[in-house]
Amino acid sequence: MSAASHAPRAAVRERPSLARRLIRSDHLAGWAFVAPAVILIAVFALIPIGWSLLLSLQSTNLIAPAHYVGLANYRALTKDPAFRSAIGHTLVYTVLFVPISVGGALGIAVALNRKIRGIRFYRLAVFVPLVTSTVATGLIFLWLLDPTFGLVNYVLHLLGLPQQQFLQDPNQALYCIVAMTVWSWVGFDVIIYLAALQGIPQDLLEASEMDGASRWATFRSIVLPLLGPATLFIVVWSTINALQLFDEIYVSTRGGPLGSTTVIVYYLYQQAFQFFNGGYGAAIAYVLFVAILIVTLLQLWVGRRRVYYSS
Amino acid sequence: MSVQPIAAASERFPPLPDTGPSRRRGRLPFSPWHLLLAPLAAIMLVPLIWMVIVSLETRQQATTFPPVLIPSGLHFDNYSAAWNAVPFGRFFINSLLYSLATVAGNLLFCSLAAYAFARIRFFGRDVLFVVLLATLMVPFQVILIPTFLIVKQIGLVDSVGGLIMPNLCSAFGIFMLRQFFRTLPIELEEAARIDGTSRLGILFKIVLPLSLPALATLGIIQFMWSWNDFLWPLIIIDSQTHAPLQLGLSQLQGAHFTQWNLLMAGTVMSQIPMLLVFLLAQRWFIRSVAFTGIK
Amino acid sequence: MKRLILLPLIAAALALSACGGSSSNGSGTSKAASGGTSGGHTTITLWEGYTEAEADSIKALAAEFNKSHPNITVNVQFYGNNDYALQKVLAAIAGGKPPDISYLYGSWAPNIATNPQVVTLNKLIAQDPSFDWNDFWPAGRKVATVNGKIIGIPALVDNLAVVYNKKLFKQAGLATPTPNWTWSDFENAALKLTNPAAKQFGWAYVNDASEDTVWRFWAMLWQAGGSILSPDGKHAAFDSAAGIKAATLLQTLAAKHAIYLDNGSDNYLSVFNGGHIGMLWTGPWDLSQIVQSKVDYGVTTLPGDVNHQTISGPDNWVMFNNGSAHTAAAWTFLKWLTSPAIDLKWATMTGDLPIRASVAKMDGYSKFTSKYPGIAIWAANLANATQARPQITVYPKISTAVGQAVQSVLLGKASPQQALSQAAQQVNGILAAPG
Repeated sequence: MSAASHAPRAAVRERPSLARRLIRSDHLAGWAFVAPAVILIAVFALIPIGWSLLLSLQSTNLIAPAHYVGLANYRALTKDPAFRSAIGHTLVYTVLFVPISVGGALGIAVALNRKIRGIRFYRLAVFVPLVTSTVATGLIFLWLLDPTFGLVNYVLHLLGLPQQQFLQDPNQALYCIVAMTVWSWVGFDVIIYLAALQGIPQDLLEASEMDGASRWATFRSIVLPLLGPATLFIVVWSTINALQLFDEIYVSTRGGPLGSTTVIVYYLYQQAFQFFNGGYGAAIAYVLFVAILIVTLLQLWVGRRRVYYSS
Repeated sequence: MSVQPIAAASERFPPLPDTGPSRRRGRLPFSPWHLLLAPLAAIMLVPLIWMVIVSLETRQQATTFPPVLIPSGLHFDNYSAAWNAVPFGRFFINSLLYSLATVAGNLLFCSLAAYAFARIRFFGRDVLFVVLLATLMVPFQVILIPTFLIVKQIGLVDSVGGLIMPNLCSAFGIFMLRQFFRTLPIELEEAARIDGTSRLGILFKIVLPLSLPALATLGIIQFMWSWNDFLWPLIIIDSQTHAPLQLGLSQLQGAHFTQWNLLMAGTVMSQIPMLLVFLLAQRWFIRSVAFTGIK
Repeated sequence: MKRLILLPLIAAALALSACGGSSSNGSGTSKAASGGTSGGHTTITLWEGYTEAEADSIKALAAEFNKSHPNITVNVQFYGNNDYALQKVLAAIAGGKPPDISYLYGSWAPNIATNPQVVTLNKLIAQDPSFDWNDFWPAGRKVATVNGKIIGIPALVDNLAVVYNKKLFKQAGLATPTPNWTWSDFENAALKLTNPAAKQFGWAYVNDASEDTVWRFWAMLWQAGGSILSPDGKHAAFDSAAGIKAATLLQTLAAKHAIYLDNGSDNYLSVFNGGHIGMLWTGPWDLSQIVQSKVDYGVTTLPGDVNHQTISGPDNWVMFNNGSAHTAAAWTFLKWLTSPAIDLKWATMTGDLPIRASVAKMDGYSKFTSKYPGIAIWAANLANATQARPQITVYPKISTAVGQAVQSVLLGKASPQQALSQAAQQVNGILAAPG
């Protein structure tokens, strides 16, 4: 098959026609490759996003005909103390979640990337929380962390430690959410890291060991840099997701107690679908969107200077 | 020339041996890694174990709080009851269609786009990349209704096609594959280009075979997303005949009370295909030997 | 070899996307059939989120109706549960093709009423004296009416009563609650039933700051003679002496660990069934599980201060206009579904309370309630549901503000006075805001 397809191409190389040169042109080739993806994403994501921009300039309950209000929703946001505290909760959550989950995933992936008995079982185990529905995850954590009947307080009791209120304590709830989401999402990063680890050439590691480098030094000087592209991807993706945290809040604390876990998207949901302020909800989404975009561009910019690609 | 990269590729990813002799160190009769991995696995398995327990309990035990951890008997009939409570067979097929189609779509379209972003310099590339990434930054709740309106325009409301279409390609997959493609040694591709292989040929003959771990990972993730997707199916599907599994499961969950034993039996059944997909895909995405050298 | 792996994948992609396309064509034709009216036959769509007995019953009743009405086919579709259903309804409304009939929460009614496609039922009801609108419980009628417009027919009318564990009362040496119970009787019992060492609580309260938290507080507020808003509806009135008295009762009991604080997952019922809670304030929806758990239970009306008022949280069947043929068919079905004979059937099939006062007096119903002790108390208690929540579009915001206040009282983070005046200030702001 490969021999047959080579012959005509060799002929073309000697006397390229205009058409062939056009096809070889990088601009055309690039756009041809991205076209299907761009069309799909434009129709099913970019148009809806544009629609929601219009929505953010309207006053609407999504039920009655809307009317245009200009930037009123955005102006109201600047004076909304609940929105300000939602931003605070989201930032605290993100700053904790991203490093813990990415660091944890790296450690777990390295531990899982070896040939020992039962390794397939261990990998499957790490994958299990990921496929567990969020509803089930929420229930399990509500049970584990129940102040009166929960397993965790029972263990604390056995250890002679004071009982905690966990999700019912406004000062602890957000940290419990961090623990819960790290537990349920770490497997996601682990499988990406595992895939990335396959790309590290064996000979590089062996050479390093032969040079007498310690395992830690090999990890720092070879493995970590080679995982750079995957790490950049995981960090960007985790940050985008953390800033849009919703499902886990919805199935556990519903933003409480006393609003202590009301993150931005939960607040958006509350406004749009509980208070029937569709336009205000869209404005929240747009402020969040711009914030995430800035953070992502910053991360990509740092990545461009720090991440090493083999090419 | 073009034969060599393929050979190199198979060397990079030798088939995964089922079990291998562990390198034993010190006095432990097993690898010390077990001391770390076994507790980790236990923590991760808590939900599954809990769900299996509840799925085998009587209705009364399943609603007792604090939970009953040792069921009085093994009520496997919950599984048949859950299966029969809603048209599960039909839902399974719909979920499978939805998941496989979106996996196939993402693998194909994201590969094409990711390759261009990783390897081809074209007008507007970097801006376009950021624009695509930006679609990941708007909460789904906000674009739910307009997406519904577009699918309605196309005439796909209440069909499996309507489930699939908006999820055939995501910026997530493009970004992920682009990152992986960029780590591949470019020399192989340059050699092939000099050899006259087309861009498409390079992608399919060199880049993709070298990227099986990344493709398998994307496939698993997309499968899981589609399989567990609830909100979009709820919005777009009206009739039972087109409903996927998660919509069926939600019919076991009431506003005031839920038959937890049946719901958990249904949930456990719904998770089995995902775990199978994961086990199958491990073959491609984990070589399992990378670190034996520095163990 | 490795290259070949991709070929089947691509083939599968093409095959499946083709398949998705063809299945859409199939449904397109079926939808044309279901959406239209041909030869005098009309197919209407009804959306509901029922599960279990209710899900089976609505399907059975629709089938019965379809049999007896050959010109109409009612197509019952599950639209998700709880809050998710709203998103589906909103999408359908945006698409211009909502279902002909939908089950919608009463708390959504004021906003739903702003939709031009919602059918106003005043005329239809007035034209048909046999329908007897006044036979529906007042609580249900109030929630179905927005600014004088009747936008729905009650689909569910429930209310709160006390459910107590007889065994725990006996252990504590307490007489069981009576309909004449006062707040101090209740407080005294709740404290005596509390035993932290045995993880036993006198009472339970849903503490998630949602409407579930708020409506129990409204019942207490009304019992103490208070009201939610001022008579003109322009100011908060719940921060009155009555409100503070109610909040103080909550705080006292919570501070003494007499209340199991439910996190919103409705665990209170399981804990009650496990024998760890003495009394619940709950509705008939919990009864079937209590019976199944074999708890020796009793039911009585809520304790009183100035009065023994309870609160009801009715839901509605709402009709959307998809053409006159559909509206006529939908109205025919709703009239049939909520007629006394069928309502009696529904109540006995599901354990829901009758939505009509006349049904509660029927022989068939008393036969049913004699088998399920307690149901009759809830049915009779509907007479104590004399007030309703304000039917205004901003009510959900008010509910959230008050929910936070009640939560901070329960958690001991603010005094009743502080919490309620802060909430009242917020509510005044919400009421003053334009639109």
